[in-house]
Amino acid sequence: MSTHPLAGVRVLDFGLLTAGANTSAMLADLGADVIKIESGAYLDPFRVVGKPDNEDGWWNRSPQFRFTNRNKRGVALNIKDPEGQRIIRDLAKHCDVVVENFRRGVLDRAGLGYRDLSAANPRLVFAAISSQGDTGPERMNVSFGSTLDATSGIASLTGYEDEEPRISGMDVNYPDQIVSLFATGIVITAVMEARRTGRGAFLDFSQREVASFTLGEEILAASADPTRPSGRRGNREEGVPQQDAYHCRDGRWIAVTLGTPDAALEAFCADRDSAATVAALLARGIAAAVCNDGNDLLRDTALQGVTLVRDDRGGLVKGLPYRLGGKGIDIERAGPDLGQHTGEVLRELLGYDDAQLNELADAGVTSTTPAIGDV
Amino acid sequence: MAAPDDLPLQRFTIIEVNDAKVPLCLRLATSLAAKIAADLGADVLKIEPPGGDPVRRAPPFLPQGESALFQFLNTSKRSLVLDLEGGAGRTALAGLLDKADAVLFEEPASTAAMLRASRATPIEIAAFPAGMDAAARPVSEFTILALGGLLHMVGEPERKPLRLGGHQVSYAAGLTAFTGLAAALAARDAGHTAPDVRVSLAEVMQWVNWKAASGADASGISPGREGKLSEFQIVPCRDGHVAVVYTATQWPATRALIGDPRLDDPKFNTRAGRRQNIAELYAILTPWFADKTRAQIQHTAQARGVPFGPIFSPAELLQTEQYAARSFLANMDHPTLGALRLPQLPVQWNGRSFAPRPAPELASELAT
Repeated sequence: MSTHPLAGVRVLDFGLLTAGANTSAMLADLGADVIKIESGAYLDPFRVVGKPDNEDGWWNRSPQFRFTNRNKRGVALNIKDPEGQRIIRDLAKHCDVVVENFRRGVLDRAGLGYRDLSAANPRLVFAAISSQGDTGPERMNVSFGSTLDATSGIASLTGYEDEEPRISGMDVNYPDQIVSLFATGIVITAVMEARRTGRGAFLDFSQREVASFTLGEEILAASADPTRPSGRRGNREEGVPQQDAYHCRDGRWIAVTLGTPDAALEAFCADRDSAATVAALLARGIAAAVCNDGNDLLRDTALQGVTLVRDDRGGLVKGLPYRLGGKGIDIERAGPDLGQHTGEVLRELLGYDDAQLNELADAGVTSTTPAIGDV
Repeated sequence: MAAPDDLPLQRFTIIEVNDAKVPLCLRLATSLAAKIAADLGADVLKIEPPGGDPVRRAPPFLPQGESALFQFLNTSKRSLVLDLEGGAGRTALAGLLDKADAVLFEEPASTAAMLRASRATPIEIAAFPAGMDAAARPVSEFTILALGGLLHMVGEPERKPLRLGGHQVSYAAGLTAFTGLAAALAARDAGHTAPDVRVSLAEVMQWVNWKAASGADASGISPGREGKLSEFQIVPCRDGHVAVVYTATQWPATRALIGDPRLDDPKFNTRAGRRQNIAELYAILTPWFADKTRAQIQHTAQARGVPFGPIFSPAELLQTEQYAARSFLANMDHPTLGALRLPQLPVQWNGRSFAPRPAPELASELAT
């Protein structure tokens, strides 16, 4: 990448799974030096849920982990050990941003919350991403992926006509995916403010609020008219004369949006293969597309754009959601093995020597193997 | 709220150009990105075509007849009507661009070449990736959802695939464009050359749906909609519905919560086992919900650390205690529409929220 808007910014990354880890990944893509903190006793759960086998080193092979954590350095420090906590506080003095999505209170109890870290480094921008936000009666509530489809309102508007609501499900976990698209921009804005004023910020993100924010006009309309009908309408959309998925002769579904209703469309699709139907509809100025699955996405490199790339080990990983300066990104480093860069980072930022590093390893403060099996 | 002169993006000037002939789905993304910047204090000038942004006439509508969609997407902005088909309009726009830090617009816009060449950093919203050369292809959010593979993921495997509620395609792209805009402003602010930003709805949806590509790449088999075969399903309760969701480590707590001895059968101990016996599992789970309210279910489940999700409608969200406690929903006094209630930006910055200011009336001259 020729342009690095966040060159010189260093991120201490406690981000897990998608919501946290992907926010710091997007900062890395913009040129930030991202140091991911894990420990043998607490791996990023993506290392475990995506493990391909139980052979030695399984924790370094999860595709989901590698998709999300490329372009980061990996440090393993036990955040429950006072020495591990002290080292992390020292690292925070050399960082501009912290990203975390632990359950509320976890970092505070370890002496690594905003109060502690900002006392050591007032310029720190601290992004706390949680299910419900850092305040309010539900702040300690747990959620997992599609819990938030339900509680945000999205599920109430998703489903077959007049049937029960639907969630995006475990293979999408939609609310987890969108939070980083917003949080990254806010973190960048706060970094600009910290540069200008010398003061950092505590950024409190509620994933549920991010998901509800995407229904802003629905909430606004409901507030003005509580009797406004709501609920499931299949694929129909207010203001759109006709819109649905139609089944084609070759067994594939296509999506069609019509500006003028056409009762003959279903039969038209049923008589033709999907590609021919889509081509015929597009030629008439009608929006139509084949319903792709994951394998279709892998095959269609033009449609992929900049969203998928290969890392230096040849693995397929997440690219960018946008093109910057006309380009996507090259992956400069694959997702780190557990603790791969512990020595490198502690030497570079804190001046540790071999003897000190060996001592930390012997004491179990640092590690390269997990102490857990399942999450 | 803090005074507007204390807002983080207040020293930036941003132009949003709404071309008359651009598909609605692109316009929504542009407007959302610019709205976020405006709520954060940027001086956002929205250039509307004669007759106004067509979103002014798009549903859902407020009882007064105004568009709720427009009011949500255009808070805190100023507006100016310019006829960009004509030389005078373009000259006026060029003058505005000279003083702007960034300009947001859509790819098929008639003024795209001029906007790309301006000294403001271009933030461009398109339907398809740059390499596809498909700017003229008919498009909707729904067809992008299909292309991005997300449509394939929701519904029953034997029935038609389902879209997600709301404008998820346009808004995910709008959030992306906002982050791209912030990156461009940060680069300018640091004295670097800012990268121009190009966001396509198709790329954003694939990026959001990365697990489909990851899963297909790892196993050769694409994930897809599982409906009643999924471990996570929606079940009815006394006053609505609840999403049954838990992690692998939360299964023992979930089993204890339901308290039916049939769940102790070892065949339910693993994710694979539960999936193989999914109909039987749900036959056991479902009755537990039937006589309880969503509030009771959420309360008892959370007490055991089980993340079941009660389903709320937009109207019900207006009453949620959590949103009230955090003042997530702002009361906005609109000069002609009266009191409106809408979500604020979903972040608290040192405890501060960013209260939106009312969307602009259509104006053919800039208010000073």
